[in-house]
Amino acid sequence: MIDDDNAFYAVLIHELKNNLGLLSMTIDRIPPSGGAACDSAVDVARLQCQGVVERLQQALTIYRAKQGHLRARIDAYSPHELIAEVGQRAETLAHGRIRIDVAVDESVPPIWFFDRDLVEMALINAIHNSLVYARSVMRIEAGAGHGWLELTVRDDSAGYPGHILASVAAGAPCRARGTGLGLQFARLIAQAHEHRGRLGELHLANDGGAVFRLRLP
Amino acid sequence: MNQNATAASETRIDFGALRALVVDDYPGMRNALRLTLSNFGITKVQLAASASEAIFQIRNKAYDFILCDFNLGEGRDGQQLLEELRHSRLIPLETVFIMVTAESFYEKVVATAELAPDDYLIKPFSAETLCGRLVAILQRKRAFAEAYRHYQAQQVEAAIAACDRLLREQPRYAVDALRFKGELLIALGRFDEAEKLYQQVIAMRAIPWARLGLARALHLKHDDDAAEAELRDVLEHAPEMVAAYDLLADVCLARKDSQSAQEALQHGVAVSARTVRRQQRLGEVAMDNGDLDAARTAFSEAVEKGRHSIFIGPADYGNLCRVQLEQGDLKAVADTLRQNRRTLESNPDGRLVMAVTQSRLYTREGKADDAARALDIAADLRAAGAQGAPHLLLDLASACMANGRADEADAVVADVARNAHDSEALLEKARRIYAEAGREAAGRNVLASATADVRKLNNEGVVLAQKGDFRGATEKLLAACESAPFNPRVSMNAVWVILKYLDQDGMDEQMIQTARYHLAEAERRAPAHPRLAGLRLHLMEVEGRFGIKRASA
Ligand SMILES: Nc1ncnc2c1ncn2[C@@H]1O[C@H](COP(=O)(O)OP(=O)(O)O)[C@@H](O)[C@H]1O
Repeated sequence: MIDDDNAFYAVLIHELKNNLGLLSMTIDRIPPSGGAACDSAVDVARLQCQGVVERLQQALTIYRAKQGHLRARIDAYSPHELIAEVGQRAETLAHGRIRIDVAVDESVPPIWFFDRDLVEMALINAIHNSLVYARSVMRIEAGAGHGWLELTVRDDSAGYPGHILASVAAGAPCRARGTGLGLQFARLIAQAHEHRGRLGELHLANDGGAVFRLRLP
Repeated sequence: MNQNATAASETRIDFGALRALVVDDYPGMRNALRLTLSNFGITKVQLAASASEAIFQIRNKAYDFILCDFNLGEGRDGQQLLEELRHSRLIPLETVFIMVTAESFYEKVVATAELAPDDYLIKPFSAETLCGRLVAILQRKRAFAEAYRHYQAQQVEAAIAACDRLLREQPRYAVDALRFKGELLIALGRFDEAEKLYQQVIAMRAIPWARLGLARALHLKHDDDAAEAELRDVLEHAPEMVAAYDLLADVCLARKDSQSAQEALQHGVAVSARTVRRQQRLGEVAMDNGDLDAARTAFSEAVEKGRHSIFIGPADYGNLCRVQLEQGDLKAVADTLRQNRRTLESNPDGRLVMAVTQSRLYTREGKADDAARALDIAADLRAAGAQGAPHLLLDLASACMANGRADEADAVVADVARNAHDSEALLEKARRIYAEAGREAAGRNVLASATADVRKLNNEGVVLAQKGDFRGATEKLLAACESAPFNPRVSMNAVWVILKYLDQDGMDEQMIQTARYHLAEAERRAPAHPRLAGLRLHLMEVEGRFGIKRASA
């Protein structure tokens, strides 16, 4: 019975996610009015809407992970394209409020093997956080070396609170909002990537702000 | 620093010139997508609310980009639409097809690469994501332009050379090039090379499609043990990979283990019940295994899910009725006929299914006069050219016998036997029918004399071909084709020797025509036969060599 209920809620969440998706597309179509107060309200609405969509997406993904289904679907993708795309999204979401820098290191090969949808979800979650906490700048980076691809989102915020750093480092289980659900989720995504016995990793650090780094084997 | 910005400017995409089609059953979404596209400059956008609307529009006009929702409400879904477009060659390789799904589990419904979209987007997605993906695909297709052009001009060798060039010069597309090349090698029957190629990909990363490709190459090399081991391991790690179950079923059937084949297909259907062709196969295999319940479920699912699919025909209704009859569920048979009357009555083959089924139904109900009338109708339809699937014809033969029409039955069985001289399952079923009617001896005679001619001509032809006398072999096999026009094995042998003859003796337009005809016949009778792809490409090469344009399908 409990399983049926869960499946039912999963379907419901699914539908809510799609409805909100439509709402966020509608918000995207609101033309700038020229009035700063109005435009910034629209920006906030857009961010909030996307935030909820993401939360629902995370909930669904975690639900599937619990069913034993969170399997990365690995294929060959271009990290360059990935970074360009999430960079564009960050730019749109920021609406000029903070500066977005994008940097792909020379060392990054033309293709890497990963699950594009999952990795994108993890990065967008980090980008949302930085949009909330950054003072003036966010930087999205890709680098590679020693058989790892590293995707980093860093900002000039006050940095992660200690308990978050500790709980992610300890691999504590997910709980509710504010307790690091989004970051735990990113950790699950990293770990769903396996290659020759090595698992993907999530590294959080404070270095002039928050540093969010996914390492994929 | 940002290499992408420079890369993008090198290969500008002219969005204004792009002709786009948005397919979604929900008007709100259609309009939202149209506006999203117009936001980044794609203004030539047309909308379709259903798969049939989309097909109508695509037939009338070429599109560069199709953005299609997987869920299209009533009627065909997006995947069925895509399969139809690819199957009927309505969209060239250059056309971008992006599937929009609400599920991050979409991939599981995709059978093979050739039936996969260029990419899929999970709802909700942002305009930047859509734009980014579209640009990436357009650039990839641009890089593959040469390979595609050669492939579509039937110059497969040149297409392979183009892939090799991409491998050397464009590392970004190396894996894509390997994937395309692997399919070309398989189609050309170069299984050893294909095996090596997939091993090479797997050495980089054990991506499921590469492991599946490896298993396919091994299976086609008749190394079914290795193929099965590979597939079982793939499925252990990724049990949702339905294409692996389909291939596993092929492997099991090749080693005559139809019980395991049924299990494999049942697993596949459990993951994704939508695919009509998987249900059809499951029904057939289950029927052969005598598992009537499973066969009935599969056949009714096929008919149900495929209501709008081009892959469903009269034979599918015939199959469903047959299993219902064998279960003694006469009411269900009558219901099936009634519910599908309109479809069945629309063509002679469908009417033949109705007539044969009705004759068996009436026979069971003891209504001899009605049964006789139905048999008369069936005979008329056959005389006028209606063709039935072999199983249906055997049903007809058994109904004839039950109604005291032994001669008619023998003629029908002879017809089936000639056209299936190598199908043990069908011949066995024919023997059973004779046994049930207490006419074993007569049955042995009918089968022996019906298959003798074809067998002889076919074998003589093959022997001549092995000796290198392709002209003589062609004569024998065309004679065999004449007496067994629907025998896929004979048709394929005929095509094979004709092509060999043309390789040797050069251009003979009439013969190319003949080969084309018999190949089409074999494709109709045995659509998934592993020899077909090789013959098709061989024919294309011969046509290409003599500069003959393929008659459009
Ligand atoms: N870029 C950042 N700068 C500062 N603090 C952050 C940043 N990102 C996340 N945090 C802190 O970490 C917490 C957990 O983040 P996350 O797991 O993404 O959010 P949630 O718990 O809401 O899912 C946030 O509530 C916030 O306190």
